[in-house]
Amino acid sequence: MAKRLMCNTLGAACVGLSMAMSAPSVFALADIIETPSRPTSLAPENLLTDADRAGDRIVAAGERGHIIYSDNGGDSWTQGEVPVSVTLTGVDFGTDTHGWAVGHSGVVLHSEDAGESWDLQLTGVEAAKLAIETRKDEIAAMEERIEEAPEEEVGDLEWALDDLIFSLENMQSDLEIGPVNPLLDVWFENESHGFVVGAYGMFLRTQDGGKTWQDWGPQLDNPRSFHLNSVTQITGGALVVVGEAGQIFVSVDGGDTWEKRESPYEGSLFGAMSTGNVNEILAFGLRGNTFMSTDLGKSWKVVPNEGGATLNDGAVADDGRITLVGNGGAVLMSTNGGESFRPYFRDDREGVMDVVPLSGTNLLIIGEGGVNFTDAKGKDLQ
Amino acid sequence: MSNPKHDKGEHYITTPNAEPFLERLIFNNRALILIAFFFLTLFLGYNAVKIEPDASFERMIPLEHPYIVNMLEHRNDLENLGNFVRIAVEVEEGDIFTKEYMETLKQITDEVFYLDGVDRSGLKTLWTSNVRWVEVTEQGFQGGTVIPDNYDGTRESLEQLRQNVLRSNEVGRLVSDNFQSTIVYAPLYEKNPETGEPLDYGEFSRQLEEKIRQKYEAQNPNIDIHIVGFAKKVGDLIEGIGSIAYFAGITILLTTLLLFWYSRCIAGTLVPVFSSIIAVFWQLGALRLMGYGLDPYSVLVPFLVFAIGISHGVQVVNAMAVEASKGFDPMTAARLAFRALYIPGMLALISDAFGFLTLLFIEIDVIKDLAVAAGLGVAIVIVTNLVLHPLIMSYIGITKGGIKNVQNQGEKQDRKWKIMSYFSHPGVAPISLLIAVIGLGLGLYYKQDLKVGDLDQGAPELRADSRYNLDNAFIIDNYSTSADVLVVMVKTEVEQCTQYNVLRAMDKLQWELQNTPGVQSSASLADVSKIVTKALNEGNWKWYEISRNQTIINASIREAPAGLINTNCDLTPVLVFLEDHKAETLQTVTSRVEEFASNHNNDEFTFLLAAGNAGVEAATNEVISSAKNMMLIFVYGVVSSLCLITFRSIRAVLCIVVPLGLTSVLCEAIMAVSGIGIKVATLPVIALGVGIGVDYGIYIYTKLEKYLLEGKTLQDAYFETLRSTGKAVIFTGVTLGLGVVTWIFSPIKFQADMGFLLFFMFLWNMVGAIWLLPALARFLLRPDRMVAKARNSK
Repeated sequence: MAKRLMCNTLGAACVGLSMAMSAPSVFALADIIETPSRPTSLAPENLLTDADRAGDRIVAAGERGHIIYSDNGGDSWTQGEVPVSVTLTGVDFGTDTHGWAVGHSGVVLHSEDAGESWDLQLTGVEAAKLAIETRKDEIAAMEERIEEAPEEEVGDLEWALDDLIFSLENMQSDLEIGPVNPLLDVWFENESHGFVVGAYGMFLRTQDGGKTWQDWGPQLDNPRSFHLNSVTQITGGALVVVGEAGQIFVSVDGGDTWEKRESPYEGSLFGAMSTGNVNEILAFGLRGNTFMSTDLGKSWKVVPNEGGATLNDGAVADDGRITLVGNGGAVLMSTNGGESFRPYFRDDREGVMDVVPLSGTNLLIIGEGGVNFTDAKGKDLQ
Repeated sequence: MSNPKHDKGEHYITTPNAEPFLERLIFNNRALILIAFFFLTLFLGYNAVKIEPDASFERMIPLEHPYIVNMLEHRNDLENLGNFVRIAVEVEEGDIFTKEYMETLKQITDEVFYLDGVDRSGLKTLWTSNVRWVEVTEQGFQGGTVIPDNYDGTRESLEQLRQNVLRSNEVGRLVSDNFQSTIVYAPLYEKNPETGEPLDYGEFSRQLEEKIRQKYEAQNPNIDIHIVGFAKKVGDLIEGIGSIAYFAGITILLTTLLLFWYSRCIAGTLVPVFSSIIAVFWQLGALRLMGYGLDPYSVLVPFLVFAIGISHGVQVVNAMAVEASKGFDPMTAARLAFRALYIPGMLALISDAFGFLTLLFIEIDVIKDLAVAAGLGVAIVIVTNLVLHPLIMSYIGITKGGIKNVQNQGEKQDRKWKIMSYFSHPGVAPISLLIAVIGLGLGLYYKQDLKVGDLDQGAPELRADSRYNLDNAFIIDNYSTSADVLVVMVKTEVEQCTQYNVLRAMDKLQWELQNTPGVQSSASLADVSKIVTKALNEGNWKWYEISRNQTIINASIREAPAGLINTNCDLTPVLVFLEDHKAETLQTVTSRVEEFASNHNNDEFTFLLAAGNAGVEAATNEVISSAKNMMLIFVYGVVSSLCLITFRSIRAVLCIVVPLGLTSVLCEAIMAVSGIGIKVATLPVIALGVGIGVDYGIYIYTKLEKYLLEGKTLQDAYFETLRSTGKAVIFTGVTLGLGVVTWIFSPIKFQADMGFLLFFMFLWNMVGAIWLLPALARFLLRPDRMVAKARNSK
């Protein structure tokens, strides 16, 4: 990919070069976004970062382009066909069959068969180009504003313009290296509308099932381009994005416009979720900091939590129990709708990235050590 | 054939010219020669005593193999990789979080710190300041030493310690999963950085035993200490070489008793033992003068030399007793014995030597050294036991008891020989052959399981129940670690070893290997980069990936362990941890790596095999399996040619060589059944077993042919053969067997394997010569034609 990019910038001069590179005697290492994920029986034991249900099926994504699915509650897994080998960071199904997965190198993958096969819809190269276009537009707009601005504002505006130009140059030099930045999460409403979030404030929207993408970043008030770690929908229909340095954004109009919320926390938030009640948000992140809002994020209260381990994700079971999972084998359980949590630590102390409630109080957890089954207290099931 | 030596219908080697030149030369100057031998013995004996044990690693590996060439070429870059000892300090009752345990651990830490050879900056225990816990906070990283700053042994501070250990990522590494032991990890200097002297493994290992194990196990009865590491293993090997001295004593004692039982003559017992010990001194002295030390393989050669010396000495004693019983004085008896024996003796010894020299084809120095040492030893035996021994005897003579013994013996034993002569009977011979064929079939069947390489867990040089291997098993059970490491070296341009494409390629290879059966896990800069990139992103596993951004890569590997990057940054290793070191495992893994290398090596990076103990074993296995067949062909070629030259008959060659072949097959079957692989140690066994084993056949066939040519029937001829030489042949087999049987008790596993297999080969070759040779002769030899042919050639 990096070579292809250089070719684009150098133009025709490099046609000969790429011919030479493709000569059979030279085995250049194919880029990982051009390398299909290797079929392996080890995928369920290897790092997995996110999981979702596609109907009754459980689908999980992880390192080396692994996407695995299970139709029997996690007892056995099949590996999906994935055209890339990057670490995947998020998976979400808009319908029982239509799902998307995102990951490093800015890849967006799409499946129409409930996770069995995937095709590459977007890479970080196109994503970066979209962001670069946005910056250029912003720079043009800023230049226009400076022309028309009163004398006393010009100084500040020129500072802002310099920031934009500096940011543009950064993006361009990053793009010369390749698709350097990862996407970190994905959410789809149905088979056509969804968002992806990622590093340095990357925020893209599609309304045609991923055929075309818009840079939705300008809709967020995120001038310092903080990482966006999670995008999700809560009961009641509102959308929530959380990220680095306590960033919280909420949309109540299906994602068209976004409002920045005042954050209760200055550290990173890695996830937000519904408690099951309308307009209630549970947000959590670094060192176990957990917050609850009952008014779509306008006000927050601290949820007491003695665990102290960074929390990554969570789930609500049918009986209303809420489970949060995190680093160091943390499994936190609330039986009072998220008012308080009791922490448990798994014996292996391996990081847990996501949790899928199974029948009864049993849980399927995924993370550093792949797939594991536990009871509500994080103890391994026999 | 008009060879004048064939007159009287006897074979020429048994009827040399009267008073040959050599005999006159030796016996007419016997005082002068003895004095010369005396001074030679003083000189060589002095050197023999000063010979040093030498367990040099390089001599045990195939230096010509491309893997080893690569390894040695990059040895300085990989210097600090893998040379360390790990000392596990285990609590017998309770866990490690007690005041007493932590105090003992602290003292051990200090003690190890001051051991010569330890790289102090790399020393790691719970008590060293480089063992830390780290936590991500909103402001960045927060951390500290695992031992709390205010540690005072109280319950609170021990609880704090437990918390820190859990946060430190050291569980499974420095602290066992069950919290009942911790590790003292001590990297070692191959060369002392101040004096430049190489590390003395023997001394280092002794210090570990005395200053650590013995001292602290005595001081705190609630702890056990387990020590593993290359240096400890080599130290134990060196110590094992020392224990060989006891075996030597036992062997000499047993042989002396056996010899006296055989000869009933003090002189006939002590003189061969004395001559053979002289041979050993000469051999050791000569080895030292030639610049050799005693390695764990060549230390066994003196035993062979001694046994071979005795077995030829017995022939001399026997022959002298026979001559003396005819009334000859000691001088004449000695001369007649010499005259009768010097040619067949030399022939047998020369064939031994040629058998050993075929080992020179194997490109592993210890085996070549073994060939040289054994060849040299046999050459010395020619002098000591065919010259020195008769010369001494010519002064002393056989005692009356010995002469009487010879006279009585014949009558007493004739009945036994009569029964055994039925091995050549037309009714018995087919049964023998049938048994031999069944034996061959069974042998071939079981031999299919014969494996190349070492098969046991742990350090294959040492016994499975040795202290070292028990310690090793303890550490493997309680810590995430493997003792079998294959190192793939990744070569790049200078300062390019951390480039994105290099890490990416290593990562790809690692995943390929982790998906290969037999591979447990792997580690490289790529893992370091991923794990640190994750850590730098607030410990979020979603960032577990190699960044395309070189600045981020460089930041991520800034604190990479020494050994993963060389000083020029043009070499970085991939460590592959294997489940075992079986030959198939090594073969599968190395061929995957080779395939990967040939598909991916380019201008940016080259993947090279191989270092690490598994790399060395893989190379050794390749060399051994290709050398094995060649060596067999050479050994049998040499032995067959010598027999053909001597007896001028292909049928004779078959009679002698077929029993050897059966023994070789059975030996391999026994190896397969008892789990001994073809390895550096067992390869020489076949050459030694066949080279020495052929002697029996030569002795038996020589006599058998002689009596057949005298016109006797096969069974009568065989009876006479047994009468004249049967006892000596059986005695030789038993002596040789005794010579090596004590090795079975060696603490060094491969010595025990060699002893066991050689014991079998020496004894069974003897049985083959006595039992199977006459049966084959029944079918292969045509006595009437042999007589006719001999007459015609007159």
